Amino acid sequence: MNEIIIVASLGILTLLAEIFNFKKLILPLVVAGLAANIVVGIMEFDLASYYNDADTLRMIESDLYAKCFMMLLSIIALVWVLVNYNFFSDETNQTDHLALILFAIVGGFCMVAYTNFVMLFLGIEILSIPMYVLAGSNKRSLRSNEATLKYFLMGSFATGILLFGITLIYGSIGSFYVYDVRMKTASVDFTITPMFTIGVVMLIAAMAFKVSSAPFHFWAPDVYSGSPTSVTSFMATFVKTAAIAAFMRLFITAFPTAIESYKNVFFILIIASLFIGNIIAVFQTNAKRLLAYSSISHVGFMLLALLCLSEATSLKSLFFYTTAYSFTTLAAFLVLKIVSENASGDDDISVFNGLAQRNPLLAGTMTIALLSMAGIPPLSGFFAKYNMLFMALNHGYLWLVIIAILASLVGVYYYFKIIIAMFTRNSTDSTAIPLSLLQKSLLVLLMLIIITIGWNGWVFNLI
Amino acid sequence: MEQFIPLIPLMPLIGFAVLGLAGNNISKLMAAIIGCTAIAVSFVFSLLVFNAQLGTEESVTVTMFNWFEAGSFKVELAFLVDHLTSIFLLIVTGVGLLIHIYSSGYMHDDIAHNRFFTYLNLFIFFMLLLVMGNNYLVMFIGWEGVGLCSYLLIGFWHKVDAYNKAANKAFIMNRIGDLGLLLGIFLLYTKFGTLNFIDIKSHLAEIQVGDPTIVVATLLLFIGAMGKSAQIPLHTWLPDAMAGPTPVSALIHAATMVTAGIYMVVRSNFIYSLAPFTLEFIAIIGLITAFVAATIALFQNDIKKVLAYSTLSQLGYMFLALGVGAYSSGVFHVMTHAFFKALLFLGAGSVIHAMSGEQDLLKMGGLRKKIPLTFITFLIGVLAISGFPFTSGFVSKDEILMSVFYHNKLYFYIAAAVAVITAFYMMRLLMLAFFGTFRGTHEQEHHLHESPASMTMPLVVLAILSMLGGLVQLPHIYGGKPIFEEFLNSIAPTLKHEDASLAMKEWLMLGVTCLGLVVVYFLTKKFYADDKFEGVYTGFKKTLANNYYFDEIYNTLFTKPLNFISQYYNAFDRLVIDGGVDGIGKLVNWGGDKLRYLQTGYTGFYLFAMVLSIAAFLIISLFNLL
Repeated sequence: MNEIIIVASLGILTLLAEIFNFKKLILPLVVAGLAANIVVGIMEFDLASYYNDADTLRMIESDLYAKCFMMLLSIIALVWVLVNYNFFSDETNQTDHLALILFAIVGGFCMVAYTNFVMLFLGIEILSIPMYVLAGSNKRSLRSNEATLKYFLMGSFATGILLFGITLIYGSIGSFYVYDVRMKTASVDFTITPMFTIGVVMLIAAMAFKVSSAPFHFWAPDVYSGSPTSVTSFMATFVKTAAIAAFMRLFITAFPTAIESYKNVFFILIIASLFIGNIIAVFQTNAKRLLAYSSISHVGFMLLALLCLSEATSLKSLFFYTTAYSFTTLAAFLVLKIVSENASGDDDISVFNGLAQRNPLLAGTMTIALLSMAGIPPLSGFFAKYNMLFMALNHGYLWLVIIAILASLVGVYYYFKIIIAMFTRNSTDSTAIPLSLLQKSLLVLLMLIIITIGWNGWVFNLI
Repeated sequence: MEQFIPLIPLMPLIGFAVLGLAGNNISKLMAAIIGCTAIAVSFVFSLLVFNAQLGTEESVTVTMFNWFEAGSFKVELAFLVDHLTSIFLLIVTGVGLLIHIYSSGYMHDDIAHNRFFTYLNLFIFFMLLLVMGNNYLVMFIGWEGVGLCSYLLIGFWHKVDAYNKAANKAFIMNRIGDLGLLLGIFLLYTKFGTLNFIDIKSHLAEIQVGDPTIVVATLLLFIGAMGKSAQIPLHTWLPDAMAGPTPVSALIHAATMVTAGIYMVVRSNFIYSLAPFTLEFIAIIGLITAFVAATIALFQNDIKKVLAYSTLSQLGYMFLALGVGAYSSGVFHVMTHAFFKALLFLGAGSVIHAMSGEQDLLKMGGLRKKIPLTFITFLIGVLAISGFPFTSGFVSKDEILMSVFYHNKLYFYIAAAVAVITAFYMMRLLMLAFFGTFRGTHEQEHHLHESPASMTMPLVVLAILSMLGGLVQLPHIYGGKPIFEEFLNSIAPTLKHEDASLAMKEWLMLGVTCLGLVVVYFLTKKFYADDKFEGVYTGFKKTLANNYYFDEIYNTLFTKPLNFISQYYNAFDRLVIDGGVDGIGKLVNWGGDKLRYLQTGYTGFYLFAMVLSIAAFLIISLFNLL
C-alpha cells in the first residue's frame, strides 16, 4: 500500500513540476523517490503487519507474494529509469513521459496485489494506457505511430475479452472477490458450468495476451520493434513481470483447484510460445524483433509455473525466473540502446559487428546477458530454467520438459548469432563507443547481478 | 608426519606449474634446479614418512576434500599411507630424483629442455597420486595421468613422425587396458558400494573364495595392469616406447610407471586372494611374458630394445611372483629392478650420449676403455640383473624362484630358464658394446667421451644400490634377515614354505647360478666379442628378432579389418548422423523462414487469429478435448 501511495504521489508531483516550473529537479527527485520506496519496502519486508484487505475494501492485500513482486517491480523501475536517463532529456515531453511511467508503475503494483477482479482490471488498465501512449512517444516515426495504434487496438480488444471473462465468472459465482470465488469453487457441491468455463478461458486468453504468450503474441514483435528502445525495454521487463505475476495471482487466489481442468489450454500456450518464439527468432535480423520473439519463448517457461501450481516450488521458480529474466533483459536492452543510438538509431543485428573491439565492456555485458538467456551455467538464466524444469519434472511432465529443452536449444543458436557478430565480424565503423560513468557502473552492476543471483538461492527462497 | 603427506605430491605439482608457466623464459639451469628441487623435497618428505611408518603398523589416511558426492556414492580426494605406499614413495621419488639429476646432463643440449622437466615433474605428481590414493578412483586419476605423461614423453621429439606413432601406440594399447580397469572398478562399486581400499577390505569377510563377481572384477582389473605393465598380449607398445629420451625410458618405462600394475594388484591383494583362478591366470601370463620377451631380447641389435624386452621379461617375473602369492617378493623385485634397470638404462643413455646418439650395438664395441666409469657401473647392472650372487637381482629372483618352486614345478623350470636367457642376452649386450674393437664411424670415435658428473653421479648411486639393495631381504641361510618381507607383512602376508631341504636347495641354486654365469660369460665372449658378429638373422631367429611378428599379426587381425569397416562407418556418419543433425538445423531454419510470414503486419489478421485461438480454447475446454 505504501508503495502505491509513494509512487502515485511522485506521479502527481511530476505533473506539478510542469506547472510550477521545477522541471530540472524532477528527475533526481523521482530517482530519489523510487529509491526511498525500495528502502521503505526493504525495511518493512520482514514486518508481519501486512495490509489486510479488510482495510482496503477487499481490494488489495500486501501478502508475501505481493510484497516480493512489488519489490522486484520497484527495483526494475528504478534501474530502468537510471538506464534510460536520456529518454527524459526532451524538454517538451519530459514530465509527460515521467508521469506516464510512474502511473504505469502504480498499475503494476495493483496487478500483483489485487484481491478483487475489479482491481485486477483497474491495474491492467492503469498499466496499459500509459504504455499505449509511450509506444508512440517517438511522434515523428511512422513505425512508432504504427506500434501505438496496433497496441491500442489489440489491447482494447483483449481488455474487452478480460471484462467479458470477469463478467461471466461474476455471473456464475456472484462475487468479484477472489477469496469468495475460491471458496465457492472449492466447495463440494460446486459443479463447473459452461458459463464458468467460458469465463475462465476468456480470462486466460486475455492474460495470455498481456504476457504476450503465443498464439496471442502477434502484437508483440510489431510493437516491440516499433516503439522507442527505452519503452520496449520497459514492456519486456516491467510490464511482462507485472502481467505474469497477475496471471499467477489469479490462479493462486481465485481458482487454485481449477488449473487441472484447464491444463490442456496451458499445454497449447506453453508449447506454442516455446516453439513460435524460438523458431521465428532464428530468421530475425532486427535485434529488437529478435528479443521480442525471445521474450515470447521465455513466457513459455514462465507459464510452466502456472501449470505446476500445486508444486511447492512453483511460486519460487516463477519469482526467480522473472527476476533473472528482467535483469538479463534490462542489460541486453541497455547495450542495444547504446549501440543503436551510436549507429543513429539502426537496430539491425549488424550494428553489433565488431563490438568486442569497439567497447569490450558492452560486448562482455551483452555476451553474459545472452548466455544467461540461453541458459548457460553458472549464470542466473540457467538456474531459472533449471528450477522450472525440475519443478515440471517433479510434477510428472517429462515430455514437456523434453520439449522445453529442445526449444531452448534452438534459442542458443540465435543468441550466438549476436555473440558471433560481436566477436568475429568486422565493423564498418571502428571508433570506440564512449560510455558515461553512470552507464559503465550500470553495466557492471547488471553483469554482477546476472552472474551471481542464482548462486546461493536467496532470491529463490525469498518468496 | 601427517602434515607432510599432502606435500609429497604437491611439490612436483608446484614444480610442474612453475616450469610450465615459465616455459623458455627461464634458463636451462634454472629449470633443472626447479625440477630437481621439487623432487628432492618430495624425497625428503618421503623419507620422513617412511621413517614414521617403520615403527608402526597403522596406516594413515589424510583427507584433502570431498571430491564429489551423488546419493550414497561419495569419493574423497584422500591419501592413504601405509608400508606399501611408503616403499613406493621412496622408489618413485628416490629413483625419480636421480633421473632428474641425470636428465639435466643428458638433455642439456636439447632445445626443449625446459618442457622436458615440466613433463617429468608432472609425471612424478601423477605417479605419487597413483600410489597414494586411498581409493580406486584417485588411483585411476594417477593411472591415467602417468599414461598421459608417458604419451607426451614418448613423443617428446615430435618432429619425427615415427615417434608420434609410437606415442599413439602406447596410448591406444593402454586405453584397452584402462577400459578393463574401469570396468573392474565399476564392478567393485556395484559389489561393495564403495571404492575405498580399507572399506572394501572390511566388507570381504562376507565373500566366499571364488565368488564369480570377484573373479571377473579381479580379471578386469588385471587387464588394466596388463596394459600398463605391458604384459602379453598388450605388450607391443613398450619396445616402441623407447622412442622417448633415455631418461624417460629409465624412469617411466622401467622403474616406475610400468610397475603400476604390480602396485595395483598388491594393493588389491585382499581381493585377489579370494580369486585363485585369477592368480593362476596372472602367474601364467607373467610366465609367458617373461619367457617370450627374454627370447626376443636375445636377437635385438638396438641397445635400448634389448633393455626394453628385458624390462618386459622382468615385469613378467614380478607378475609370476604375485600369481603364486608371493606379494612381497613381487614388490621386492619391483624395487631391485628399479635400481638395476634404471642403472642399465641410464648407462645405455651414457653410451648413446658418448656415441653421439647412436643406438645400434653393431656400431659400438671396445667402449670399456673409452668410458670406464660407465662401463663399471653398467657391468654392475648386468651382474645384478643376471643374478650374480648377493647382488640385489640375485636375492629378489632367488626368492621368486623359490616361491614358484613350491607352487608348480613346471613354472619353476621355465622361470629358471628365463633367468639363464636373461644372463645370456645381458652378457651379449655387454660384449657387443664394451668389448672387441670400435666399429662406428671415425667421427663418432673422435667424439667419444665420458659423460659429465651430473650423469655419472646417479650411475654410481644406482650401482651401489644394485649391488647392496638385496641385503635387506637376504635369506636366513646366508646369514641375512627378511626385513623387507616383515615390513610388508601387514599389507600382504607371504606364504611360508618350510621344508627340510630348503637350505640344500638354496645352496644348489647358488652353485648352479655361479656355474651358469661362468658358462654364459665364455659363450658370449666367444660369439660376440670378436667383431665378427653380423647381426643378420634367418629362419626362426628372424621371427624372434621381429618380436614374433606380433605387430604384423595385430595389424592383419585388428587394424586392417577396423580400417576396412570404418570406411563404411565414415559414410554412415557423414550421411546419416551428420545429415540428420544438419537436417534438424535446416528444418528449424525452414520453419523460421515460413512461420515468420504469419506476422503479416495486418491488425485484422492478428485479431482474427486471436479470435480463432479463443474459439479453439473454448471448444477444447468445454468438450474436454485433447
